[in-house]
Amino acid sequence: MEASFVWAVILALAAVTYFNRISFIGLLAHVELPRLMQRMLAYVPAAILAAIIAPLVFPAGVDHLPTLDWPRLIAALIAVTIALRTRGTLATICIGMLALWGMQALLA
Amino acid sequence: MWAGILASLPLMMGVIPFSVICGASASGIGLTFSQAWGLSWIVFAGSSQIVFTHLLGSGAAAWVIVLTGWVVNLRFMMYSAALAPHFRKTPRLARWLGAYLLVDQSFAATLGRIAEGRSERENVWFYAGISLALWLSWQAGSIAGILLGSFIPAHWSMDFLVALNFIALLIPLLSNRLMWVAAAVGALVSLGPQLPLKLNLLVAALAGAVIATILEKLWKPASSGPSS
Repeated sequence: MEASFVWAVILALAAVTYFNRISFIGLLAHVELPRLMQRMLAYVPAAILAAIIAPLVFPAGVDHLPTLDWPRLIAALIAVTIALRTRGTLATICIGMLALWGMQALLA
Repeated sequence: MWAGILASLPLMMGVIPFSVICGASASGIGLTFSQAWGLSWIVFAGSSQIVFTHLLGSGAAAWVIVLTGWVVNLRFMMYSAALAPHFRKTPRLARWLGAYLLVDQSFAATLGRIAEGRSERENVWFYAGISLALWLSWQAGSIAGILLGSFIPAHWSMDFLVALNFIALLIPLLSNRLMWVAAAVGALVSLGPQLPLKLNLLVAALAGAVIATILEKLWKPASSGPSS
């Protein structure tokens, strides 16, 4: 990868990210976000987080089609259960990772 | 200040492992140390760093990477809007510096602190303490990840840590069925047919948000809309 290209993308990403952060604290300090926009923004995090998680649980195989990977699926379900019950980040991560390794060893 | 630093300590247990992963995946796609660390401190937003690394590594165009990263970080705009009324009397320079440090954890903790009804000055110092402590731990973890990442064998499946981290972030958001709809649509679109230009993530986020908003309107009379 061309170094100047990488730096340009990093700086552009940093600029749009900072724009989001400063938007209402600094730039638009006295502006109210339209209600419809507020509602849509409220759903973006859930949609994008799930969109990032899904391909890691169902890894892409040939032709980029998602595949069924039992250890990953079972470990993810265990992690979801832990997260629903405890809301603990550390417990979710540790138990999820141990579950993955355990299932991989069992099903290998 | 000290109250903020103290409040950051339990949060670091989630933040540091995530920063290690972000650093490791940045060096994993062949970024140099300065590029990978630059990503960590100039952008300073883990989820979008992961998306950046993933898309850059798979050869996406610059505008797709930046636009997707922007959407991933749109939540900061919500946070900014929620904090703005409480930081109105704070000097401009402090607000512009403070905005750079805004992340999920510092936002949630500061909003909780604000609810306790202290003065703006106290809240700002709390925010400064927690944000700086989290920033420092993020950079330390990132550097460790960048340096050590290449020694981690592939069969450890460390990429799954990203999924687990995001599961821990996602589950508390699912407070009603519309949030579940947004998440389900997002997951399905990202698993669906490969869209051109690696646009799956961007389309997934927009589709999830739009469909949930439409359903919110349709279900309005019966539904208990999200309380955020």
